[in-house]
Amino acid sequence: MTPYNWQQTLRQKADYVEDRLKEGSPVVALSTQEGILILTVRRGQPKIFEIYDRLAFSGLGNQSDLEAVRQLAVDFAHAEGFQRSADDVSIQRVVGVALSPALKQGFSDPLRLPLVLLGLFAQVEPAPEEDLFYLVNYDGEFSLHQRYAAAAGRESGRLEMEQALSELKRVPKLEAALEIALRAWTAGRSPVKESSARWEERLSQELQMGTVEAALLKRDSQRDRRFCILEERDLKPILSRII
Amino acid sequence: MFERRSKGPGDLMNLLETQGIQFPTVDAGLRNQAAVVNVHGTTVIAVKFAEGVLNVADRRATAGNAIFYEEAEKILKLDDETLIAIAGSYATASEAVRFLQHSFKYYARSQLQEMSLEGKLHEVSRVLGRALPGALQGIGGFLPIVSAFDREKSEGRIFFYDAMGARFESREFGAAGSGAERIRGAFEYVVRTKSPFRQMKLEEALREALLLLEIAASLDTATSGIRRLPSAKMVTAEGVQEVSEDLLRSLQRALLQE
Repeated sequence: MTPYNWQQTLRQKADYVEDRLKEGSPVVALSTQEGILILTVRRGQPKIFEIYDRLAFSGLGNQSDLEAVRQLAVDFAHAEGFQRSADDVSIQRVVGVALSPALKQGFSDPLRLPLVLLGLFAQVEPAPEEDLFYLVNYDGEFSLHQRYAAAAGRESGRLEMEQALSELKRVPKLEAALEIALRAWTAGRSPVKESSARWEERLSQELQMGTVEAALLKRDSQRDRRFCILEERDLKPILSRII
Repeated sequence: MFERRSKGPGDLMNLLETQGIQFPTVDAGLRNQAAVVNVHGTTVIAVKFAEGVLNVADRRATAGNAIFYEEAEKILKLDDETLIAIAGSYATASEAVRFLQHSFKYYARSQLQEMSLEGKLHEVSRVLGRALPGALQGIGGFLPIVSAFDREKSEGRIFFYDAMGARFESREFGAAGSGAERIRGAFEYVVRTKSPFRQMKLEEALREALLLLEIAASLDTATSGIRRLPSAKMVTAEGVQEVSEDLLRSLQRALLQE
């Protein structure tokens, strides 16, 4: 294989993945006073998962590829947590040590189908300012974020989401954060401002075919498990007020 | 790259094996017992009460005929709805508990569903089986009592095991450790002359359990009884909770004055 072919192969693989990610449902995560809120809208399988005591994962892409990444992260975190301690399991190690090299290797292999995914990992800390978010790309590249993170299949969508989230001046309470997250998700889902409809109306249209899925990674918890999926009763008041 | 490395889905033991992580960590090939300072936990008690299951334990850990530690915690949380009280080799037991805590969480997170009570109880049996070589050499055996709140039956349940991992369910109470055998008849006496533990309120069940622990201490040098504040936890429909220190201290004072 010549260098030219190799580069062309990578470009074709990237085009293949990005083409499939375009229609994916965005994911938004942000620090709240109560913990980290992760939110998306799904049409089928759940998309927000607990990885370890302080870690959660979500993303967009092929369900089977999300599942492969999720399982690898869970396996790595639990083997590390048992061999050393829960305190030694960090988002930086899960993403940087376990996932990124494996994703890179798979993407660079011309004979392998690339994984179609954009992953978002979150780690809750005692103070909101210390919360960590990592966005992981299909090719193994990753970036660190604080306060919030947004994953969307289109670059324009991600920028719109970040614009919506950047308007946050203080760490919101959960209820306020839910509204901000829904607004950001809607911005990421339909970034092209072809419609003059208000974001609430656009969200209402989207929810005719999808369901809001939201989870909280609690900052303080008496229970072992900090991760909890928000129930319909938690979401209903805010949704009925917006749409 | 992303092939599953664990052969059994959701099975932490398989995952650790595939990654070359040893469990149990106490070497079963260890034969020079004289060189081993083997610390033991002694008497642990579980009784049912109206809302669930109460666990009480003294705080003494012994090594041979020496008192090794007087602040040992022998009642441990396996998850938010399951308690384990341990007697026997402290090293093996605490390692087993750490494994079980991870195992339950690993299953739930990897399989996206909680492990059933039956699954958890079986996992305890497996761990005991793994500890058997050490137990046979006299360096690593332990006996657990598992207490759980069964949401399907809406009641607390108590399970005890033999050293090979055979599991038994108790209708009213369970006890393990060197002081346990000496007070077994006293449990029966309470049930037959007062009332079944499962009909008692928390305070009454706690009082009986503390008294039994104190009797065990009077018959067994390895059990410290209630002169030092024992540990007490319960599992109810609300999950695992600590018994309030105020209640524990007031009953401790009353019993020691009798």
